[in-house]
Amino acid sequence: MSGTIVKVSGPLIVAEGMGDVQMYDVVRVSEKHLIGEVIELRGDKASIQVYEETAGLGPGEPVESTGFPLSVELAPGLIEGIFDGIQRPLDVIYKQAGDRITRGISVPKLNREKKWKFNPSVSVGDKVIGGDVIGTVQETPAVLHKIMLPPGKKGTIEWVFDGEATITEPIYKIKEENGTIDEYPMLQVWPVRRSRPYLEKLAPEEPMITGQRVIDALFPIAKGGVAAVPGPFGSGKTVIQHQLAKWADADIIVYVGCGERGNEMTDVLMEFPALKDPRTGLPLMKRTVLIANTSDMPVAAREASIYTGITIAEYFRDMGYKVAIMADSTSRWAEALREMSSRLEEMPGEEGYPAYLASRLAEFYERAGIVTCIGSEGRTGAVSAIGAVSPPGGDISEPVSQATLRIVKVFWCLSAALAYRRHFPAIDWLQSYSLYSDRLRTYYNASVAPDWSALVTKTMQILQEEAELEEIVRLVGIDALGFKDRITMECARSIREDFLHQNSFDEVDTYTSLEKQYAMLKLIITWYDKALLALAQHVHLDNLIEMPIREQIGRAKYIPEKEHKVKFAELFKDLDAAFTALTEEGDLDA
Amino acid sequence: MKKRKIAVIGDPSSVMIFKAIGLDVFYEEQPAKIEHRIHYLADNGYAVIYITEKAATQVQEAIAMYATATFPAIIPIPMNSDALGLGMKQIKANVEKAVGADILFKEG
Repeated sequence: MSGTIVKVSGPLIVAEGMGDVQMYDVVRVSEKHLIGEVIELRGDKASIQVYEETAGLGPGEPVESTGFPLSVELAPGLIEGIFDGIQRPLDVIYKQAGDRITRGISVPKLNREKKWKFNPSVSVGDKVIGGDVIGTVQETPAVLHKIMLPPGKKGTIEWVFDGEATITEPIYKIKEENGTIDEYPMLQVWPVRRSRPYLEKLAPEEPMITGQRVIDALFPIAKGGVAAVPGPFGSGKTVIQHQLAKWADADIIVYVGCGERGNEMTDVLMEFPALKDPRTGLPLMKRTVLIANTSDMPVAAREASIYTGITIAEYFRDMGYKVAIMADSTSRWAEALREMSSRLEEMPGEEGYPAYLASRLAEFYERAGIVTCIGSEGRTGAVSAIGAVSPPGGDISEPVSQATLRIVKVFWCLSAALAYRRHFPAIDWLQSYSLYSDRLRTYYNASVAPDWSALVTKTMQILQEEAELEEIVRLVGIDALGFKDRITMECARSIREDFLHQNSFDEVDTYTSLEKQYAMLKLIITWYDKALLALAQHVHLDNLIEMPIREQIGRAKYIPEKEHKVKFAELFKDLDAAFTALTEEGDLDA
Repeated sequence: MKKRKIAVIGDPSSVMIFKAIGLDVFYEEQPAKIEHRIHYLADNGYAVIYITEKAATQVQEAIAMYATATFPAIIPIPMNSDALGLGMKQIKANVEKAVGADILFKEG
């Protein structure tokens, strides 16, 4: 199966004599063996997107089909790995070829030499179906890698290995119903553009705890949920993605750096090994897979990186893990689609994006979800997808943002105005929404506190009232407000500055447990309720606003997790005492 | 409709005269007492409270508290000795807020 190049246009080449290839087959282009993928077929002419630089290529050079679609290798060795958009290990390439990826370089996607200790969990004679766990490999201290029978296979265990093996050595044999005996290694290969099968998609009922107060309290995302973070540049999209990658209570994190700056991936590489997971105490890197296609890497591989990422995420989901995938940013990915589409001379849609932009985005996000995994065990696994969107000029009326918003259920709108005021995370509380809030209410009320949702509703109400009052203040000044409204404004300020504002770079403040979040919010709202009561008893407004306890409320976020129970109990007591003192003082006046 | 009442607060020599026209007059001169009186009157259905300018300057916080409420309307009145021009100042401030400039400067 080989053809000849007739046209080269950037990352797109057209080859003739390709009558027998199939859509999405991987091809090797020219003597340099550049990797490409068939994305359009017309008669015997195939359009191929090449994942590497095409300089120096010309008509007449050969194109050879491998006969396989673009696939990822799934086996132990994924965790802690850093791959490019088509799963080439960047650390190995760096050792072989230095800073830049040499064209046509051929390295195995996963380490073929490393031996893994395989512990079988089935015995000879067991009947197994696709998805059943054959055995386990302790890949990192944090991740137990389950070796599963590939989807669609079925049979009886004939032989199973116990001991150390590489990922390509056969470790078990299965006798199928028709009597043939097949042997399987740990390694599974799966085409990136096909989603891995599952038994049933479930409704998300449990939140993914992120330790970010504005997210967990106001706009929660469910395990298996999808979220988008659009925002102009400089508003902190990447920081939010990093925060989620660090603190989200997922078992596995897949971080896809897609068309963004290289130093952002460096940050991840430098920080993650040093940071500790608050639940396991192990370095965060021990549960992370990185896919890096930075802005200077070939554009076609960027298109693939999202699929590579989600396929790896699905693989871990099938083991019954809760996986979170962050894509930063889907706009760059859409731009890659646009570039390929225009080179293919397709009819452009809105702003030059291809007409299939929305369906491609949906294809990606729809692969997220909480599911019953295949196999007889009935494991539940989840993939939560969080995509950053970088709309040009911060205007979310552009096609990528709009197409994304139609699919996702959580929208964290980053606002340039908030970022300018140094309010981080700059998630705009009036524009953002989470469609999971109602579903997750039961969970929060049962596992944190029965009045959690009442508290959150009240918080939102105060913030909304503040926005209305602010307009009056802007027109006629703060004097025009009644005292009750002044208290509301003060409380809203306290919510904004003491609760919603969170410093990602402070050791304590970077992560807040749900219990502490509840205590913090409760403290602020208790002050509000008591202040209104005191006002009705004619306590002076200035005395209320300048209460010294409010300063302590402001500092509550820096109370370490370990001490929060004691410290917050003290704060509540102090708050009560302060108000009693104030009201008594008022009585003495009379 | 509930019948609303009018009260007057101040030193006896300035406000006693209001008794003649049937208003409720309260003699108060200490700030804490004046304040308490205002709150008491506000809670007890008084719609208008006249207060001497001298007393008003001592309890600005309490007056500000009701400034945006419908009732009571607290209105400073000049005393028997001299006028501080509090009412005019308030009107000026409001005009300035409304039109953005002091257009009553001649009348000050």
